[in-house]
Amino acid sequence: MRNRDLELYLQMADGNKQSLEAIYDKYEKLLYSFVIKLSGDQTLAEEALQEVFIKLWTKKAVYDESKGKFSSWIVTITRYTAIDLIRKNKKSAVSIEEETDLPEQSDQTTEDLVEWKEQGETIRTAMNQLSIEQKEMVDLFYFKGLSQREIAEQCDIPLGTVKGRIRLALKHLKKNLSTGKGGVYDA
Amino acid sequence: MRNECDVVIDYFNDQLNEDEKKAFEAHLENCKDCQEELEELRLLTGDLPFAAEPVDPPEGMKERVLTSVFSESTEESDDEAPVTKPAETPVVPMSKQTASKSKRNSWVMRGLAAALLLSLAGNIYALVNEQDIAEQPEDPEEVTPPEEDEGTDQVAERVQLQGESSASATAAMINRDNGGILTLQAEQLEQLDGEEVYQVWLLEGETPHRAGSFISNENGDGAVAYSMEGLPEGIDWDAVAITKEPDANSETPQGNILLSAEL
Ligand SMILES: [Zn+2]
Repeated sequence: MRNRDLELYLQMADGNKQSLEAIYDKYEKLLYSFVIKLSGDQTLAEEALQEVFIKLWTKKAVYDESKGKFSSWIVTITRYTAIDLIRKNKKSAVSIEEETDLPEQSDQTTEDLVEWKEQGETIRTAMNQLSIEQKEMVDLFYFKGLSQREIAEQCDIPLGTVKGRIRLALKHLKKNLSTGKGGVYDA
Repeated sequence: MRNECDVVIDYFNDQLNEDEKKAFEAHLENCKDCQEELEELRLLTGDLPFAAEPVDPPEGMKERVLTSVFSESTEESDDEAPVTKPAETPVVPMSKQTASKSKRNSWVMRGLAAALLLSLAGNIYALVNEQDIAEQPEDPEEVTPPEEDEGTDQVAERVQLQGESSASATAAMINRDNGGILTLQAEQLEQLDGEEVYQVWLLEGETPHRAGSFISNENGDGAVAYSMEGLPEGIDWDAVAITKEPDANSETPQGNILLSAEL
């Protein structure tokens, strides 16, 4: 089985615009939706995608296989880029108001990202099975990208306990996932 | 003093300044706990992006994004001189200097000596950038055909690797400020057994540096993109080579050179 993502990436790194476009088409919706989830902000989401693809194209971010799967890598780059923009914009809080402002959610996913549709529900269900505190840990740590100190302040807990709580919450989530529909690992 | 193990979370969230980051990365090299914790965080959060509800991007976003991405690259190449080799060195046979070193008979030199024979037979060619090819078409059949696409000015060097088997590979070195990237695509490779991998090496004189490993598929195709950030900077690499290794951990080549090309 050929690794289509890697192939596209190599061609792109070699200056092929069509390959960059193909990568864009494949990941646009996932990355856009992901940044909306992180920031609740459409303008920021578009800005983040633009930065991500500039990083790819100008090779400010370089992928190699030691970094794992391409899909995980590009999502990680997107997360850092978005968190950085959020920090700069100080728009981190997703308010109810912003949420109602969001475009309508769609239920079609591109063929390549079928697993997203399948897994999305499972993951959201698993998230909802967490206690409020654990859910907040996951949210502040992963989706908001806050520092340990910020998390300690927001949750009013000792700094030294933050790391342990995050790991516990994440492990709990993983457990919920594996006892749920399962098979969400190989994205 | 700060306990480095305490900053894993902030490292993961990219909340450290450059100095703190360097300090932590130095610590990470030797701290198994932190390595495991980071790996665990990556694993545990790996599925989370899929928690996002699908949202349709706004009208015209693709055009806006791609336009600005591609205009970025034009601006860059206007500012930065393209990284190219002088036009007078299009096809590079083994230099006498390198050949004389082969008396030392290290594994590398045996490989390069073999490469020299191939080179003399005309099977090896190192080739540079598209402009040179376009200007010097004396040997059209031996030259990698230029790609139609633009933006290749970032490709510092492209070489065709050859060896004694029917396998072949193309490697390209793309220079960037942060160390660049080596890409390699191979075909008609032999099947690997068990843990075996194809290991790519960049040679600095006789010293091999690991430059990525890959496995081939059932058709004998394989590819790797290797970030050169971790390699020493400012080295004028002499050659690129592929060996078959028992696993992905060989620090020095155990196998013979299957494919190679000078850089
Ligand atoms: Zn540690």
